[in-house]
Amino acid sequence: MSAIQDQNSTTKFGRRGLFRIGGLTAASAVAIAACGKSEAGETGNIGVGQDTPTLPAPVIDNGVYLRTLAGIEQSIAAAYERMLNADMLTVASSTFPDISDLSSLVTQYSEHHTAAAATLNDLAVAQGAERWECGNTRLDSAFIDVVFDYVLNGVVATDSAKAIAASDDPTRDMLNLVHTLESLSAASCQGVVPQVSEPVIRAAATAVGVVSARQAALMALLLNPGGYVASSDAENARPADTTTTSLAPTPTQNIAEPGQGAEGGGDPEPVTAPLTEIPLPVAIPGQFGSLAAIVYVGGAGDENGVRLKLNFETPSLNSYAYPFDSCAAG
Amino acid sequence: MTDRKTEVTESAAASARLGRRALLGAGVGGAAISLLPLLASKGGASSSSGEPTTTAAATATTPTTTAPPRRPTDDDIGLLGSAQQVELTARALYDVAIATGDWTDTETTVITTIREAHEAAAQALAGMLGGDAPGEMSQSLYDSLVSGFKGSAASRLEAAYEFESAAVATHHELLSALVGIDGATLIAAIQSAEARHGTVLADLNGQTVVSTLLVEDEFAALVVSA
Repeated sequence: MSAIQDQNSTTKFGRRGLFRIGGLTAASAVAIAACGKSEAGETGNIGVGQDTPTLPAPVIDNGVYLRTLAGIEQSIAAAYERMLNADMLTVASSTFPDISDLSSLVTQYSEHHTAAAATLNDLAVAQGAERWECGNTRLDSAFIDVVFDYVLNGVVATDSAKAIAASDDPTRDMLNLVHTLESLSAASCQGVVPQVSEPVIRAAATAVGVVSARQAALMALLLNPGGYVASSDAENARPADTTTTSLAPTPTQNIAEPGQGAEGGGDPEPVTAPLTEIPLPVAIPGQFGSLAAIVYVGGAGDENGVRLKLNFETPSLNSYAYPFDSCAAG
Repeated sequence: MTDRKTEVTESAAASARLGRRALLGAGVGGAAISLLPLLASKGGASSSSGEPTTTAAATATTPTTTAPPRRPTDDDIGLLGSAQQVELTARALYDVAIATGDWTDTETTVITTIREAHEAAAQALAGMLGGDAPGEMSQSLYDSLVSGFKGSAASRLEAAYEFESAAVATHHELLSALVGIDGATLIAAIQSAEARHGTVLADLNGQTVVSTLLVEDEFAALVVSA
């Protein structure tokens, strides 16, 4: 009995001892591994690869804002020159039959934007930045070029969509683009005010914006004679007429009624999808200068009647003229 | 036997407790030791340079110019108060013009809309200035301009045209002087809208000369006496 107990005791001790030894060994291994150096040296390469590129610092300062505004003004002037060189404004508009050739007016608008760009570039240089002597690349590539291409050439057919014809009224679309770009200039100059740090820059930018706002108002009145205020403001300005809460319908530039199809016999007429309505601009769109997106609608409709619709917005991170950007780089 | 068994049992239990504690102690100690290099490297990075390790991000967000204050400074408050007086004076002048009558429906709509825009501007300035807002028009400015808002419809439109141009010039001077961001932002929004008023009033008055419609000859800024 005693021998058996001794044997059991030896067996227990041996198992526990094994645990103790194992635990201490593991802990020691961790401690030793932690004390050792973890540097594994350089990883071997197979073949030749380029280093990870280092992105330039996206500095945003007064100079960047001024260069960006200068680019926008030059983009607008270039767009106007493009219209004028192609004599696009001399062609009568079927939508605006009462509007005469506005080439001289748009030329005056273009001169304002060119002069504004020079002023803004001078201020940029005073802030230690380089002049920006071309259009805003983002505004050109994503908006203005798109409008010109859509209006003049339409869209070629793809496997999933039919072709879209060139615009039925390019003059209308260009005049609407003029109003849009004037509004964009006014909003951009206003929008830079809380971003720059010096009052002299704010005053210079808004001086440009004031002229652009007036030019936008005049273009709105030419496109929409008598369109002084928004329909909602017109309703509010007539307290005696507020017997109904419904707003006046937004005036649009569609002159053709959509096809209704055949009724009551005869040859069936093809059903034409209603075209996207092009809203008419107003001279005073609100009580304060707006920084909201400016909606442009133009060109011919696609198979569903949907025209090109773009939201022109004031510059932001993807459209700034950073110090590392240059006109030569595009 | 019983005593010995008990003794052996206690000894075994004590040995087992000791081993578990030793194991835990060794494990914790090992873990602490293994963390030392990591803690040391962290501490060295933060204490040696004093700069965040993400230098690119820090460069991107670091302004290169001194940011102006958001709220109006003491000088700004006086300037913005003058602006509110201009807007309240405009509202009073348009009230006189509307009360004089002899407007077409379109003219009534436009004049009322412009009048309400000036009122909205004054209210926005009041909201910004709080108790520092004057809350009343400039009597001297009103007296100097009110006669123009009492004549014929055409002369009233002409007076309004001149006033809007002068208001734009006034806001331009303010923007040249305001330091705080909030005040400048509000004045810029007011100015951009009021710039359009002149073109509309000229068109409403039958003007067709482009230079007049675009208000190329800006009128002098308004003077608000204290």
